[in-house]
Formats: sequence, structure tokens, C-alpha cells
Amino acid sequence: MGSVRSDSSGPARPPVAAFTAHKILIAGGFGSGKTTLVGAISEVRPLRTEETLTTASVGLDDLSGVAGKTTTTVALDFGRITIGSRVVLYLFGLPGQERFSFMWSELAYGALGAVILADVRRLDECFASVNYFESRGLPFVVAINCFDNAPRYDPEEVRHALDLDPDVPTVLCDAREVASVKEVLITLVETVAARRIPTAGRR
Amino acid sequence: MPPSGRWRPRDSGPVVRPYAVTGGRTEPADGEVLDLIAVVVSTGRAATSDDHPPLTPEHRRILGLCEQQVTVADLAAEIALPVGVVRVLLADLIAQGAITVVRERPTAKRTQNDVLQEILNGLRAL
Repeated sequence: MGSVRSDSSGPARPPVAAFTAHKILIAGGFGSGKTTLVGAISEVRPLRTEETLTTASVGLDDLSGVAGKTTTTVALDFGRITIGSRVVLYLFGLPGQERFSFMWSELAYGALGAVILADVRRLDECFASVNYFESRGLPFVVAINCFDNAPRYDPEEVRHALDLDPDVPTVLCDAREVASVKEVLITLVETVAARRIPTAGRR
Repeated sequence: MPPSGRWRPRDSGPVVRPYAVTGGRTEPADGEVLDLIAVVVSTGRAATSDDHPPLTPEHRRILGLCEQQVTVADLAAEIALPVGVVRVLLADLIAQGAITVVRERPTAKRTQNDVLQEILNGLRAL
């Protein structure tokens, strides 16, 4: 990744980019609403990756009878939002289970930022992604998905529980509602903009 | 994966193992792993040289979809093949000069902020 290809038989003129593609990651534990969120704002399409099995999956992926199997299929949620004619936003759901964390660095490469969907009943499932994005220096927001039957907590309580830095926004959301998801993404892009240049991204 | 954590038959994908269409190769020929949102496009120079192995139907489908600029992720979703397989096939076509990667020129800081502002405006207008 990132290596420069030397075109020995290269084209006469390199093509001009017709659009720029940008990547936003949607993280969160299993069942936190990632598929719902991506589906609320874009058309979700399944994207399959066939990944090499690692020792992390030993005992989890049932390999009895297929001892020669060295890859496993991982399905990602994948959505696309076209903005104007020159900008396309891609949403990728990050596989939540620990054993897929080896895929995170590839998915995070070049990403604008990330949304961590939190379920207040299982906040501990956010720790891995919070740690990961903090260590990579990738801007992120925590969106508390308000499930109908879940207790309500103040976003500040969630911030405290997750020990988030003050510049990490914590917002309530309903992953089923396009308006709510839109607000979450706007908050994220504002955070990205504010980090790059202090005056950008203001309403 | 379904909530039960078990694969139903229709989740298990095609009958042919994915890497059968690459002849068992799992790494792109040139070792470059294209990003999911890397943009590719056909050069209009279809590979007919005898130096290269013949194109498979999957190669041809990719070539057809690359008439307009398209991301690796869109390609993989469109032809319903795993990303890793698409990368291997794309590398073949790039090696033959039939497809090229659209490289964005490094943008100035100001331009990056313009893009962010355009994304913000676009999201607000959704």
C-alpha cells in the first residue's frame, strides 16, 4: 500500500480524477447498529473479503473437516453517498469481533475519521475501537445508539465511562433515522475539519 | 453474518471457491495492494498480446466496469467477488496496460479543507 508503481508501459497521459473518494469507518460492537446506520443513509451493499485465517480464529472458526482451509470470508457493510458530482463518501462497517481486528489497519488507511456506535448496555465493546483510533490519531465521534429498550444516559456520563478526550464529541443518535445519522456524520466531518484547521467546519 | 452466528447456505457464497478464478493466486502479481477506495479506469488498450495469459470472463467483466472511473470497493460489490480476488485480477489487467490507477495529485492544505467543506455542505443538503 502506498508504494509508487513505475509504469514501464505507462499511458501517455495519466487520467484526471473524475471524483475524489473518501472513507469513513463505522465501528462498534456486534449488534450495535452498524448495518442499520449505514443502511439509513446509503444503499448498503455487501462487500466480501476473503481473509487469511490467523491463529486468532483458532477455536472460533470451525475448521474440522476442512483442515486445508486457510481463508475465511468476512462480510463488511459498505455504503456510498454521492456528494455533488466530484465527491463520493464511502462508509465501511468495521468488523467488530476481536478476531477481525487484523483488518482494521487496512480499512483505516487513508480514512477521514470514524464513528463508534455505542450501546450503553455494552459500553465495554467500544473500548477496543476507542483505543485503536486514539493510538492511530484518527478523528472519531462516539454516537450513542438510543435503542428503544435501553436506559438513557447523558452523553457526558458516557464520555466519562469511556475516558474520552475533551475534543471527542459524544452524541445521541438513532441509527434508523436518516436525519440523525446525517447529524452524526456532520459532527464527525466538523471534528476532522477543526483538527486540520481551527477555523474550518463552523456553521 | 446472521445474528445466530451460523452461516446459512445462501451466506456461504458461490460454489466455486473464490480464488479459483485467480488460479489459486492470493497476492497481486506486483505486490501492490490497492486501497478499497483506489480509483481505477481502463486505458482503452485491450490486452491482446501473446505475452500474457488469456483473459478470464472475470477479467473481462472488470474491464467492462472500468470504462468509467470506479473504486475497488464498488467493483468488488458489483461483481460480487471478494476484494482480495478483485485485487489479483486488477493487478493482472494493470500489468497488461489495460487498466490504470487514477492517482490524485497531492492536494494543498487549502484544497483539503475545500473538500471537507464540500462534504459538509453536501451532507447538510441531504
